[in-house]
Amino acid sequence: MIETLEKPFTEQESLGSLNMYVREWFGKNFAELTPPQRFAFKLISESSNVLITAPTGSGKTLSGFLSVISKLFDYALAGKLENKVYCIYISPLRALNNDVYKNLQRPLDGVYEIIKRELGVEVIKRNIRSVSVGIRTGDTTQKERHAQLVKPPNILVTTPESLAIMLNSQKFVENLGSVEYVLVDEIHELANNKRGVHLSLSLERLADIIGRDFVRIGMGATLYPVDEAARFLVGYGHGEPRDCKIVDASWSKRLGVRVVSPVSDMINSDDKKVEDAMYKELDRVIKSGRTTLVFTNTRSGTERVVFNLKRRFKYGEAIAAHHGSLSRESRLEVEDLLKKGSLKCAVSSTSLELGIDIGAIDNVVLLGSPKSVTRSVQRIGRSGHSFRAVAKGEMIVLNRDDLIECAVMLDAALRHRLDSFRVPQNALDVLAQHMVGMSFTKKWRVDEAYELVRHAYPYHDLDRSDFIALLDYLAGNYVGLESRRVYGKIWYDKDSQMFGKRGMYTKVIYMLNLGTIPDEVAVDVINSKTGKWIGSIEEEFLTRLREGDVFTLGGRLYRFERSSSMRCYVADASSSAPTIPPWFSEQLPLSYELANDIGAFRRELSGLVQRHIKDGRIDSIPKRLRVPSAIRTSIKSLPVEDKATNAIFGYFMEQLLFAGVVPNDRLLLVEQTSVGDNPEDRYVVFHSLFGRRVNDALSRLFAIELRERLEHDIGIMVSDNGFVLTIAKGERLSASTLGEIIRDLASGDVADMLRLNIRNTELIKRRFRHVAARSFMILRNYKGWKISVGKQQLNSQLLFKAAEAIDPNFPVIKETYREIFEEVMDLPRAIEVIAKLGSGEIAHRLIDTPVPSPFAHGLVTFGHADVMQMRERRMYLQHLHKLVMKRIGG
Amino acid sequence: MLDGDVELLDGLPIAFIKSLNSLVIADPHLGYEGVMAKRGVFLPKINLKNITDMLGMAAKSTGAKAVIVDGDIKNEFSDVDIEEFNELYDFIGFLRGIGVAPTLIKGNHDNFVERYREPFNLRIYGQEALFGSYLFFHGEELPREVGGAQMLVMGHEHPAIGVANEVGRMERLRCFLHGSYEGRELLVMPAINYFAPGTEVNTATRREALSPVLRRADIDGMRAIAIGFGSTIDFGTVGELRKAWRYKR
Repeated sequence: MIETLEKPFTEQESLGSLNMYVREWFGKNFAELTPPQRFAFKLISESSNVLITAPTGSGKTLSGFLSVISKLFDYALAGKLENKVYCIYISPLRALNNDVYKNLQRPLDGVYEIIKRELGVEVIKRNIRSVSVGIRTGDTTQKERHAQLVKPPNILVTTPESLAIMLNSQKFVENLGSVEYVLVDEIHELANNKRGVHLSLSLERLADIIGRDFVRIGMGATLYPVDEAARFLVGYGHGEPRDCKIVDASWSKRLGVRVVSPVSDMINSDDKKVEDAMYKELDRVIKSGRTTLVFTNTRSGTERVVFNLKRRFKYGEAIAAHHGSLSRESRLEVEDLLKKGSLKCAVSSTSLELGIDIGAIDNVVLLGSPKSVTRSVQRIGRSGHSFRAVAKGEMIVLNRDDLIECAVMLDAALRHRLDSFRVPQNALDVLAQHMVGMSFTKKWRVDEAYELVRHAYPYHDLDRSDFIALLDYLAGNYVGLESRRVYGKIWYDKDSQMFGKRGMYTKVIYMLNLGTIPDEVAVDVINSKTGKWIGSIEEEFLTRLREGDVFTLGGRLYRFERSSSMRCYVADASSSAPTIPPWFSEQLPLSYELANDIGAFRRELSGLVQRHIKDGRIDSIPKRLRVPSAIRTSIKSLPVEDKATNAIFGYFMEQLLFAGVVPNDRLLLVEQTSVGDNPEDRYVVFHSLFGRRVNDALSRLFAIELRERLEHDIGIMVSDNGFVLTIAKGERLSASTLGEIIRDLASGDVADMLRLNIRNTELIKRRFRHVAARSFMILRNYKGWKISVGKQQLNSQLLFKAAEAIDPNFPVIKETYREIFEEVMDLPRAIEVIAKLGSGEIAHRLIDTPVPSPFAHGLVTFGHADVMQMRERRMYLQHLHKLVMKRIGG
Repeated sequence: MLDGDVELLDGLPIAFIKSLNSLVIADPHLGYEGVMAKRGVFLPKINLKNITDMLGMAAKSTGAKAVIVDGDIKNEFSDVDIEEFNELYDFIGFLRGIGVAPTLIKGNHDNFVERYREPFNLRIYGQEALFGSYLFFHGEELPREVGGAQMLVMGHEHPAIGVANEVGRMERLRCFLHGSYEGRELLVMPAINYFAPGTEVNTATRREALSPVLRRADIDGMRAIAIGFGSTIDFGTVGELRKAWRYKR
């Protein structure tokens, strides 16, 4: 049973569960127990599976480790501690491994000192040893590995990938026979992706190898649903989740947060004024504390902010940038400076969000929306020295959509309403890898292996037919008998229902290609007419481009034409509007839950504002836009300051006066419009607030349907608050057509429609490569040679073509579509939304506007959006705003 | 598509020469998947079956009793890989079964293939061969003796054209090229291999052509006869295609 504990144990109960010397050490070093420790010490000493969620600085690591250390010292004192591994600690971050390794030395040395002092010469007589720690990652040298084989450490610190390798090292496995505890740290970084899925299978294989289960301890930052994370940690036994106790100390640190708008009029203030005000506000926060952490969401934003802060306020070396494109050395240096407390401010894209210890932070500033409640809590949770401190965070927003989004987000955070994550289910590529791994250890009966796999939560309802299809694939049954020697990675005998290892070389392939993180590179952007190199883009960005998309690179506009394996061909598009912002693949999508909350807020507030409007005129509100008190109270219930209240009210009022309706969670507003100065383009704006991953799927589906009816091509722009379809001049979408489309979608097989739609896209080409590499269908490393990404891509395109010709449901293809539908997009929820639209639970309404309504401005200018470089977008927005104001007589 | 004696079979990368009662194909690269698999790319096997299906259809519809393979029947340069041997064996077995006699013009990938002359009863020509008024050669080198020929038939180049559809995405279609070389008709065969994507002759420059013949011939004056979606269509000259998409020469 999975159970969340509400009541902590007393201090006596908690400390009483520890070895006396460990207790003494704790007493000498800490004044009191932190919230997670009040639960965890006792539970772990009772050998319960425990999942601990808590913010950084709450003694989380020690809460997981101390009872384990205590038990191991019990063994040592009883002379029973052998050269065996008793505890495995797994973290996804190598840097964190080094931290933990160092941080464990302190309690271990401390306790041993106390024992030596208390027992004196007895220590030698009784041969009482200290508990040893070892670290094993990709960086561990051959020599160290060998030493660990001969004399295994009692606590082994490692990564998911290194664990998987160890499981297949016959000799090392013998050292794991006495494992009693497995700690999984940073569980929020694992539970929602394939790395975690991979780990969950490794844990089940470990339990199978040693013939019994072990105590599983999970640690992580805030996440929701915690139950899902617990199931991921402990897995399934006898068809049910195994027992787990959840210690949710996520909210032990209080939050002190607010949304700040640097200017009160977010539309008409000029650029320089907004920018000046923003940096002034930043400077104020930085000066008010010792250390400030700033998040910008994108790498380019990080660089720009650092540059500006240095230039404007002469911070010099007291300020530094930290993001994924910087070298490992410079990142480590920044982390080190932070730990020492010698930085005034660190600016990060997202990279300092979690994980490694960065010392005490006073303030956190978020520039632009982090797009998810969980993320905002995790980021803000970085501040505050101890669990008793208040985590202080400020969000600075620069436009009205962001303002509402951030206000609703922080409100949700204060109410402890997080957005949810899902553990990927039935990922066939990761499973394929493990089945090859399993084949090395013994001959398997198919049923027995299938049962083992289903102990892992991500596979607890795996279809047997999928398992068999994978066996067929891995055995090379897709080629003739005589070639299976080369193609087969396992042998599989259908008559006896057994499988096992095949060939000498498979193991080398396995060891060299294991893992779930795909190789990625930058793709060259080439002008297709002149053949000239323009720059490069991330591969992930390329997968987001659709034919005809316009994007900026180096300050100029280009239209995407086509791509080869490592090149992207474009044409000049100076006269067009960009359809996709350059950070699109970098920034996280708005979550489904948050989008829904925003929709609900829109519905409630627009109801209030509506009462003050009669016959398209503002009623009972003085000209100077004083906010009526009921509305003020409603807005002020969100954590926003005064300037922001006015901005929100103005925004809603303009929309109601202009369009008569505010889109919300129960109303899909579809707005047909064109942009004043470019009447050639007709926009159909779908104000669909269901999160970007749902919008990604929805936009394609609506575009397919509309294309069939209009018989020509349609442009698509997807963003967080909706999507826009561009149709040709003279075309019109009628209300009856819209209704027909919704009916068709609600009754049709939309998964099939989408499958056809993405079949020829970059998205599927690239994702197929990742899946094929994870499934060992193409190798990233062959006989010690690294195979270039370009070559991998080329090969995987041939592969896709051939596999599809054999069987469109080939496991590797099936998994590619699953990954796209469930991880890149959110098709299950898109289908839910369509069903609700079909049944009328979510209403829809089509309106025609002469120019885009205020709530559509963000959508039609989305391609321009770059958080820190707003000039063009601002000017465009101001222009649109003026057009609207002219019509409502403002 | 062509006049008289040479027929391009609809939708297939196969030519039929009536006077020889023979089919012509080029560049099958048998054993390709097996060889790739040994390099760590586990391509499903599909090429051989695809070729035999097409040849079966072609033989049935034309009544041809022979097939000329215009080079590169296999893929590896250094040796005959066991994967290649197996597919070669199956390929010849298949032809024998439908009563079609194979003749091989050696290509640059066909080293060591002579050792199968005896067991497979395979006719093999080293450089080029004149049958009737047709000179067959692979195309990696210039033909030596064009004297008695009216038409030169070559492979090697794997020609294709790139055409953009209305939204700007390029479709690559494999094609025959028909033109002239040193006063004689020239026919360049498309690759019959399933995986060969082909060289886009209208987007590449002349210098990028694989074959020295095409580097010398007036490639822009040649007609591209493309195969795709079940039919064979004359797309006009390479020069026109090049202009239509404004690629430099």
